[in-house]
Amino acid sequence: MGRLRTITRRTFLIGSVAIVGGVAFGTYMAKRPIKNPLLADLEEDEAAITPYIKIDASGITLITPRADKGQGAYNMQARLIAEELDIDPVTANITPGLPGPAYYNGTVLEESIPFPAYDHSAMAENIRKFMHVPAKLFAMQITGGSSTVPDGFVKLRMAGAIARETLKKAAAQRSGVARDLLKTEDGSVVLPDGSRLAYTELAAAAAKIEPVTDVQLRPSSEWKHLGKPTERIDMPAKCTGTEKYGIDLRIDGMAHAAVRANPGVGAGVESFDANEAESMRGVQQVLAIKNGVAVIADNTWRAWRAADAIDIKWAVGPYPASTAEIFNEIENVVDVEAHRDHRQRDEGDVDEALEDGEIFEATYKVPYLAHAPMEPMNAIVLVTDDKCEIWTGTQIPLFVRDHAVKMTGLDAENVFVYVQPMGGSFGHKLENTHVLQAIEIAMAVKGTAVKLVWSREEDMTHDYLRPGAVAKGRGKVADGKVETFDLSVGQSALLPDWFGRLMGTGIPGPDATITTGSWDQPFDIPNYRVTGYRAPVMVPISSWRSVGASGNGFFHDSLLDELILKAGADPLAERIRLCLDDTSIKVLEKVGEISGWDGSSMGENRGRGVAFCMSFGVPTAIVSEVTRTEAGIRIDKVYVAVDVGEVLDPVNLEAQVFGGVIFGMAHAMNCETTFENHAAQQNNYHAFEGMRLYQVPEIEVVALSNAKKIRGIGEPGVPPAAPSLGNAIYAATGQRIRELPFNKQIDFV
Amino acid sequence: MEITVNDESYTVDVEPEMPLLWVLRDELGITGPKYGCGIAQCGACTVHVNGYAVRSCQLAIGDLGDSKVSTIEGLGSPESLHIIQKTWIEHQVAQCGYCQSGQMMQAASLLSTNPDPSDDQIDAAMSGNLCRCGTYPRIRSAIKAAAKKIQGS
Amino acid sequence: MRYLRATFVFSVLMLSVAVMAANDKVEINPPLQGSVSPSQGLEAWSRIFEVASHPRCANCHTGPSDRPMWSGPSYGKTRVHGMNIQAGDSRIGAETILCSTCHTSKREDWDNANASNHAAPRVAMSWSLAPINAHWFGRTSQQICEQLRNPETNGNRDTLKLAEHLNHDLILHWAWTPGGNREPAPYSLQEHVNDILAWGVAGTPCPDD
Repeated sequence: MGRLRTITRRTFLIGSVAIVGGVAFGTYMAKRPIKNPLLADLEEDEAAITPYIKIDASGITLITPRADKGQGAYNMQARLIAEELDIDPVTANITPGLPGPAYYNGTVLEESIPFPAYDHSAMAENIRKFMHVPAKLFAMQITGGSSTVPDGFVKLRMAGAIARETLKKAAAQRSGVARDLLKTEDGSVVLPDGSRLAYTELAAAAAKIEPVTDVQLRPSSEWKHLGKPTERIDMPAKCTGTEKYGIDLRIDGMAHAAVRANPGVGAGVESFDANEAESMRGVQQVLAIKNGVAVIADNTWRAWRAADAIDIKWAVGPYPASTAEIFNEIENVVDVEAHRDHRQRDEGDVDEALEDGEIFEATYKVPYLAHAPMEPMNAIVLVTDDKCEIWTGTQIPLFVRDHAVKMTGLDAENVFVYVQPMGGSFGHKLENTHVLQAIEIAMAVKGTAVKLVWSREEDMTHDYLRPGAVAKGRGKVADGKVETFDLSVGQSALLPDWFGRLMGTGIPGPDATITTGSWDQPFDIPNYRVTGYRAPVMVPISSWRSVGASGNGFFHDSLLDELILKAGADPLAERIRLCLDDTSIKVLEKVGEISGWDGSSMGENRGRGVAFCMSFGVPTAIVSEVTRTEAGIRIDKVYVAVDVGEVLDPVNLEAQVFGGVIFGMAHAMNCETTFENHAAQQNNYHAFEGMRLYQVPEIEVVALSNAKKIRGIGEPGVPPAAPSLGNAIYAATGQRIRELPFNKQIDFV
Repeated sequence: MEITVNDESYTVDVEPEMPLLWVLRDELGITGPKYGCGIAQCGACTVHVNGYAVRSCQLAIGDLGDSKVSTIEGLGSPESLHIIQKTWIEHQVAQCGYCQSGQMMQAASLLSTNPDPSDDQIDAAMSGNLCRCGTYPRIRSAIKAAAKKIQGS
Repeated sequence: MRYLRATFVFSVLMLSVAVMAANDKVEINPPLQGSVSPSQGLEAWSRIFEVASHPRCANCHTGPSDRPMWSGPSYGKTRVHGMNIQAGDSRIGAETILCSTCHTSKREDWDNANASNHAAPRVAMSWSLAPINAHWFGRTSQQICEQLRNPETNGNRDTLKLAEHLNHDLILHWAWTPGGNREPAPYSLQEHVNDILAWGVAGTPCPDD
């Protein structure tokens, strides 16, 4: 085993080489202030006191740099700022603004360290803090990892407080009343006599003074916007069809483009015949692009139809042709020492424990999965001789900009990325192939804006998928207790590959995502080991809602459930007994309480299953109740308990948990992406159905606030959903299903 | 070709095979109806044709005849909400919101023919509309709340 | 980039469209009375049964169930129509969601309307389930045969009228021109009509008579 493959607390960092080698420089760079990007374009009488707030005579603009893919991120960012700024966020203009290094996400790398999230030791906390350094260095303006709330919780309220105090300072200068005698309310500074100076009137003066930075954040007891149900600011537009997504945007004189890229993703085009396409109505041009062919036409449908009429001979895809061959490669690395990527948990002596006695063994498998958000990938790009403008929904705006800089040869300050509201993502928009294609097409017709919309088929056959994975579990029980737990997970490494695509250079070192969601669980088992084995990257893979935990949550909890049942213990009681984290124990107890847990058996053809996973720092426990009917398994009711530290909006939290649980169960029920002839076979929703309304159970959610840190809730509902369903199916039928999707082995209503 | 959308008449010069969806979106700039699948698997493009829900990706413009089309924009506006839109907001249904135009058009069509649907009928009528964010529980509650409002009025 | 010019693909497509269109015209010429023996009649019936039990027909002849079925290369095994579709007593989904929400009506002269493999098929009339009496899905040859020869369960038709019904009901024509990668019903519409007529002239024999 080479040194790089060994994870130690010193080197287990994303991009370990870059970071370990660059601490001193990094610390220096990290301490250097980043300039406020809003200052560059300010007009006379406009103030941008922080990178998040811009005020002029006409109104207040809040910059919400984390992308909203549907999770309510704009609403929450705006309310975090508004809480301290004392404005009604509904009256403000809310925009993601232009991307910039100032908007780096310091938190996104925090949980990529070799300390589980429940470890609050000084060393763990210091390293988490240190992880903000590479995030800043690499200008990681990324939305992901359920990090928007934890990253913005202090930052955005501070921005609001600094702006508020600076406006008060301006008001003090104007009125002659001392700043500490001034109050603020609803967008105005209130003088002791009750008269008001609107922020908009004070902007010009505030722009000329030094900002007040020694500010105190208000305690939660004084919150007006946070900690209570709110109406999402984007809700009226989304309920009236007036929200404009990227795909809805129109630029004067724009053309419509379609692409057909090699379904063997990454391979090129050998030849194509566009004779027929070129003569079709509305078609302006057919051109070769990287790995595919593009059509420019006057209407989306005409462009697609013409693209379908092109006869293309594809080069052979750069990975094994079929799912069977791909999984063969993955199975071949599991438990093979030469392919060991990391072993982050190794307690007791597993080898010795497994030497004799009755050993339980099982193999689990999860499939590749497409993201398939409802809005397919799209982008509008306008390239002229001196600038490039890009309108697209993306979670990685700065990386998009940097790619455009490289492709067009323009300076970064002449490349503009306008982030659009997104019709879902689930991680899809952490990739940008479609934007690069749109740039390539727009460069061929300079001066004309080009709108590229992927057809659903193009979208689902060119996705960077949730990686398929195989896990081998072994264990032993004694005296009614789980005594030995050994899990070996094989998967292609996801993050190094993704960073490589973003930054143009691959990153060596181990990849935590292979075991995220299983190595880091808060359990204390006498002999406890989790090992990650690394398969080669084959088909394209990337982050999918809950990333590594999406598969590992299923592996870890399914094996645990089997061992607990083998020990003859109660599934809930034994999980609680094994748990070493108080916050997690309370979550497990709570889910038992709300579900009225009294064992997994519920009478003939009925059963309940409990599952637990801590992901993104959020302990999440789910109890699912199912019935076996003639038509198949029906999910009757689901109970969820989570702990996010502080609940900023209970209504949106519940929505995110609903969403996460349904997302996790839906894919576990009936979704997979398989390959034949190098091509993804599921190219539309007929073959990737997910859950339909009639299959959705009643879901009850309770959020606790015992955790020390505030956490995001976009993803943690996903990982325990599949195992709770699998455990419940076992309880109702006696059939243990170890491979997803479940519908390969059992029908659902 | 003449076409009436939300009580406005338009003349369009397009192939008869062009789906209504793309006439609305690309020719007329009416973008409330969304493209999701193009094959009637998701329902994001749902509009009303003579008052009934229809997947606009499946209806060729040449097959529309003199039927009248209405879209989410014609159902109600932020200033004057349809009862379905009202309960959708009250129940904070939308997440990404992309499928919701279609969901609301389908729900409005259901309530116009069946103002007091049973739970099973809601499950039957609404299961052709896909939501990837998982807003289903709230879609159900919002429809029930709208039905209750209709009963009460 | 080298362009390959292969226009023949297009002309082959046009040819098959022309063949499909020609299939739509049915001639109703019953054989002379007495010219079809009972055993020839039974042979005709067995071909009729092949058609009736074929997924293109049986999937919408689901009898008391108001659930249409799905089958085909991408479905694995035959399954209930996705999306919880229920045609209701109306057999057109009027109680919940109309079949025509997705199965829109197309104009008669548009031959290529169902080229997409997984889009909702459409014909030049309203989509619906067959009447409850015409229960074919999962039923035996004898059961279907008895239903089809009994005027009380076949819409009060003799075999000549059944043949005319096949000629007029465009939704039935779709079974032989389903489009996309859907497998058409066996034989042809004309052969099926000929078999119905021959079976009638033979005295509508059923296998277990």
